[in-house]
Amino acid sequence: MDPPLTGEWSRGRLTVTAATAAGPNRAHRQDGWDQAKITKRKTWAPRLRGLLPLVMLLSVWELAGSPGSPFFPPPSTWGSALIGLWENGALVAAVVATLTTFCIGLGIATVLGAVLGLVVGGSPGADRAMSPTFEFARAMPPAAMVPIATLLLGYDETMKVTVVTLAAIWAILLNTRAGVRRIDQTLLDAARSLQLGTVQRIRKVIAPALLPAVFLGVRVAAPIAVVITLLVEILTHLEGVGALIAQSQRTFQPARVYALIVVAGALSLLVNGVLGVVESYVFRYRPGKAGRSE
Amino acid sequence: MTSRMRWLHWINWPGLLIMGLFAGAWEAAVRWSLLDYQYLPAPSAIAPGARTLLTSGELIPNVLHTVLVTLIGWSVASAIGIALGLLLGLCPTAYRYSMTSFEVTKAIPPITFVPATLLIFGFSLRMELVIVVYVGVWPVLINTIGGVRGVQVELLDVARMLRMSRHDRVRKLIVPAAIPEIMVGVRLALSLCLVLAVVAEMVGNPAGVGHALVLAQQALQPEKMFAYVLSAGVLGITFNAVFRSAAAWILPSPASGRGGGSP
Repeated sequence: MDPPLTGEWSRGRLTVTAATAAGPNRAHRQDGWDQAKITKRKTWAPRLRGLLPLVMLLSVWELAGSPGSPFFPPPSTWGSALIGLWENGALVAAVVATLTTFCIGLGIATVLGAVLGLVVGGSPGADRAMSPTFEFARAMPPAAMVPIATLLLGYDETMKVTVVTLAAIWAILLNTRAGVRRIDQTLLDAARSLQLGTVQRIRKVIAPALLPAVFLGVRVAAPIAVVITLLVEILTHLEGVGALIAQSQRTFQPARVYALIVVAGALSLLVNGVLGVVESYVFRYRPGKAGRSE
Repeated sequence: MTSRMRWLHWINWPGLLIMGLFAGAWEAAVRWSLLDYQYLPAPSAIAPGARTLLTSGELIPNVLHTVLVTLIGWSVASAIGIALGLLLGLCPTAYRYSMTSFEVTKAIPPITFVPATLLIFGFSLRMELVIVVYVGVWPVLINTIGGVRGVQVELLDVARMLRMSRHDRVRKLIVPAAIPEIMVGVRLALSLCLVLAVVAEMVGNPAGVGHALVLAQQALQPEKMFAYVLSAGVLGITFNAVFRSAAAWILPSPASGRGGGSP
């Protein structure tokens, strides 16, 4: 009596696993991965269990650290530092500034990246003509662009957004380009036989077909945009979470530095979570979800 | 067609033309002051800037410092990442009891640790190395775990059929099967290490390309600054190209770490 087999595409290859309860598989696979791989139970216990080393580290830190330490203040002091920042309004202002730059930068990068990716993906000639320029621009490290941007544009929001956009655009552009190349020829044939105009064809056929690719690009670009926003703030001391961290470091307030690192982590988790929710909403009718290869 | 002709055909003429057009437009805009940026040098001014940097012996030591720190940090990070990744990938208990911790820590943008390390280690080489190693460990670790855990079930069945010992199974089957993915992680780590080395130099350790870049900015010497930015970009391209060809040379083709291209 063979167990029914189910196929699962992961990393572009088909993995066939036996879709049975854990019992027979424990014999089948002796290394203990069977349960996680096959039943995929969504309980919280295993995930919380995984937090153990972090919790232990923080507890040891709390017990061993002295509150006055200039390098490793215990976690309990982070909380009071955070409350202090919250009460004088600096925290809210910084978070709002960081999120604003991030959203505008990622938004512009999405629109520009999708349009450029559409052009480059649609025409092999344009692709060949533009690729050296793109490769060259992509190779410039965003961190090194910051001094140039400040010298040219000055210390303001435009400069922040420009740097973030320049860093975030490539993932979206490349994913859109790949998406355009993958579009099913039948879809384009259908559009032709329906005699759709250019606008109609883009709006009704190409854009919906490209949405998963663009979204995948945004998923990749979002963490980059967060990092670059913080980087610009750390380097230029313009308002934001990054600037607040740098300022706390320069004024030797280690508890604040650690507290703000936690805030930055929470921000990036939040961004990821929001994108995940948006993704599952936008693609709620698609059985396969957006391409989650990476 | 002679081989020489084919070589000419292989060059991307329209691509070079577009790049040349960009440079020309930039040059023209600066010459005739169409752009209202006080500190934008013309491309023709950057080349002499780079030349003076070269002849004054300023560029080479700075680049060398950044290259050395990047390579040392990257090697250490790769070793740590692969070792830890193999442990977590091969031992389900270790994976279960620590993966969420790693996921939570990974969510914190590594850039925010730069001020913290600055606080702990001061303006020193140690600070730069710690940052470079830390940022390099992540992609190697994640890709090693993914590669080891992603080994096809069929391969494991083969191992079972051949009655391989656990040691043999890991050495002859799982690790070789995971190598392509590990190589992707190692390659991503290399470019991340370079970027963070430059950042650490800009903020903390007063040495290398990053520091020179900031000095040139503060001295309002845009030609120098562009020359340094260009050299940082060239470094990135060179590292990537050298790594790819080295990987293709050392390992057979499917294992040379292609794909997975996000920076």
